[in-house]
Amino acid sequence: MAEQRKARQLATEAAVKVPKIARANLVATVKAKEEGKKVAYAFIDSGQEEIMRAMDIVPAWVESFSGICSAKRDAEKYLQKAEADNLSRSLCTYATCNLGFDMWRQELEGEMPPGAPWGGLGKPDMIIGSGQQLCDPRFKWPQATQFYLRDVPMFLAGLYYPPWDPTLDEKEFKEQEKIYVNYTAAEYREQVRFCEKYTGKKMDWDRFEQIVDLTDRTWDLFVDTYELRKAVPTPMDTGDAMNTMVPFAFNLATQEAYDFYLALNAELKQKIAEGKGVAEHETYRLVWGAGLPSWFALSDFQYFNDKGAVFPVEITYRNAEKIERLELPKTSDPIEHCAWRRVKFWTHWYEKARKRPGSLPKVERIIEYLEGYGCVGVVFHSAFSCRSWHAGIVQQAQVLRKMYGDIPVLIMEGDIVDISAYNEVDTHNRIDAFIETLEARRIQKRP
Amino acid sequence: MTEQNGSALALAEKYYTQYGLRARELKAAGRKIIGYLTAMGPVEILTAAGVVPFRLKGNVAEAITRGDAYMETIVCPFVRSVFDAAVKGKFDFLDGLILPHQCDSIDRTSDIWNYDLTLPYFHFLNVPHMTDDPSFEFMKEILRIFISSLEKVTGANITSEALAGAIQAHNDNRRLIRELYALRKSNPPLISGTEMMKVLVAIMSLPVDESSALVESVIRDVKQREVAGNGRRQRIMLIGDQIDDVAVTEIIEAAGAWLVMDDISIGAKMHWADADASAEPVHAIAERILRKLKLPTLAESGTTYNESVDSRFGHLRRHIDEFNVDGVIHIVYKYCDPYGFEVPALKNFIESNGTPVLYLEDEYSTSALGRVKTRIEAFLEMIA
Ligand code: SF4
Ligand code: SF4
Repeated sequence: MAEQRKARQLATEAAVKVPKIARANLVATVKAKEEGKKVAYAFIDSGQEEIMRAMDIVPAWVESFSGICSAKRDAEKYLQKAEADNLSRSLCTYATCNLGFDMWRQELEGEMPPGAPWGGLGKPDMIIGSGQQLCDPRFKWPQATQFYLRDVPMFLAGLYYPPWDPTLDEKEFKEQEKIYVNYTAAEYREQVRFCEKYTGKKMDWDRFEQIVDLTDRTWDLFVDTYELRKAVPTPMDTGDAMNTMVPFAFNLATQEAYDFYLALNAELKQKIAEGKGVAEHETYRLVWGAGLPSWFALSDFQYFNDKGAVFPVEITYRNAEKIERLELPKTSDPIEHCAWRRVKFWTHWYEKARKRPGSLPKVERIIEYLEGYGCVGVVFHSAFSCRSWHAGIVQQAQVLRKMYGDIPVLIMEGDIVDISAYNEVDTHNRIDAFIETLEARRIQKRP
Repeated sequence: MTEQNGSALALAEKYYTQYGLRARELKAAGRKIIGYLTAMGPVEILTAAGVVPFRLKGNVAEAITRGDAYMETIVCPFVRSVFDAAVKGKFDFLDGLILPHQCDSIDRTSDIWNYDLTLPYFHFLNVPHMTDDPSFEFMKEILRIFISSLEKVTGANITSEALAGAIQAHNDNRRLIRELYALRKSNPPLISGTEMMKVLVAIMSLPVDESSALVESVIRDVKQREVAGNGRRQRIMLIGDQIDDVAVTEIIEAAGAWLVMDDISIGAKMHWADADASAEPVHAIAERILRKLKLPTLAESGTTYNESVDSRFGHLRRHIDEFNVDGVIHIVYKYCDPYGFEVPALKNFIESNGTPVLYLEDEYSTSALGRVKTRIEAFLEMIA
């Protein structure tokens, strides 16, 4: 996402262009008023952007803004502001960073805080959050924001997927899945009503349908493109993916995002044809198992690459699957289609987990990537301020070892925004030790 | 259950100190015991199925020594403490466990509870966070799924009549508990905050009829107390989630204040809301959990700021008035996003009405009590 302190040596051209896109997203939120558009504070991976795009609402991606503050090592002043108003340092730091920024702007009577990265984030006309499995901050953060921006209306949708329950048979599970899809669709419809109310416009359903179709095609293209990374040597790794996810996460449902992945696709094919890899000597292929990265320390990926370790695949920000693989039921209702797509994305590893008693869907996903991308180890990052991706990592590692065999696993510790939780020397020492383990295995396995 | 060896409060103390004692006895007598976590536990359904609902708690005095091998330290310390107790076999009498989706700390660890405790029965009750109409319909479906899963495991037929009877029994129980709370309105309160904490903890381990009998006896005993003198001390209300130990109540009362009211999840949060006995039972239970429990993990959508704070915190103002509260102590556990994000708004809401608030971030552990004690003493001195 973001500007890196030191550009990665072998970054894709597409990744290098991303800061411009992220910056343009911020600028759009500031300019929206001039263009007569409404701005909504929005949260990624909620599947709510298609409705926003169809109604010309400009999403102000709050997590993106905090990530940018973090990458610029400029978040501390906002974190301190939030802390001074009794928002604990242990809460999601994306949220507290953004809340600190909002507090500051309110103190300045709506003026942008001086030195806000890339011109700052526009003031929202509405907040569109959700209650769901992804995390509590998606609805608590909007409520907290409303305390500082009192005149801003807030919509929260309930967007859930069925919990993993190995005791259910196929039929029982399908029945439950349908309940979740109906609920999700009903909540999307609530969102349409809310957006209509606060934009004063009616939803153009034909346009919405086109946007949904564009999103489907972007999902497919995104997955096809990322699967090119199966090539040996891999033409792109997770260090780049933490940038190339930006159009998917923040510009989805726009032609711009689709075109970005077309260009990336062409670039990766070119690299493969030329035999260009991420590392000079690709020796170890690894899965980035889970966890958001330390945005202020993305150069750690370069550190891995310098040691011959590459990440051709990651769980984080890869929230798409080929539409045909999801086996969505046919429907002429685009809202229902979106609901199926969302629910099925989260449940489509369940079948594999059911077939391997004792396994977990999250672990099946890692196994799929280990096998599909020829990887020999898994690296997780445990960020202290986010329970969503980072609680359960230890268990995933344990179950993975039990189900798949004794595979090297590294769990790094840090945070997404709070730099005080990070120790570069320690982190590098742990990476060194992990590489030594991988090397010892490699030697052992040599015929 | 009879009151052996002394008063009802002594019995409450016994069940408080030896938490789970009665559940073990009932288990030995052939009853099925099903554990649950948080105020969202669907107790009426458990009672209707003929099983004993048993709310799990941790132990603030015990270091987490085994749980950390399974569960990250970024999970809320209460959840970690309960899990640690569970892996140490403290709840080995359980026939199953229900985990309601209250917050990330619970949701994101549900696979760990399910797999690593290897209980005969496990159910994740996916309670939504929103309270709008689609969420309400969904909540009813979630309860129906739970009912059929419980029927499968217990062999019971959970009829509407059984549910209606359980709703009545739990409503009666909550009415009695509120009656006991009302005895704290006087100066001095007839029951201390520490005694109340022991009662609240004791009853979460009992079948509803035994709980009601115990509370009734406590009310009888307490009512007989002489109202001593006409002293006037600071009247304090405690707000938080799972505060279930006398460590904090003792600090408040030892510092010379009266703890007269709470909004904690084992106390008023869960006992102020009844299920509508005249409604269809699943509807009534869904409504109670989703729309009546005032937990920060439940949110209304489409509201203005004023409407939102009123529905989230309005009941606190009513408690403050009714119980004549002079100051509020708000304890939030570290890593608790649902409570943590509310602190500025909640503090502002209560303080703007003239009641001072002390906010403390705490661990679910007595190891940090020294700091808590100093802050509470300073607060009480300030508002004196
Ligand atoms: S997923 Fe984690 S980092 Fe993202 S908003 Fe939620 S708690 Fe914060
Ligand atoms: S204290 Fe907070 S994080 Fe812990 S169980 Fe309660 S709501 Fe969840």
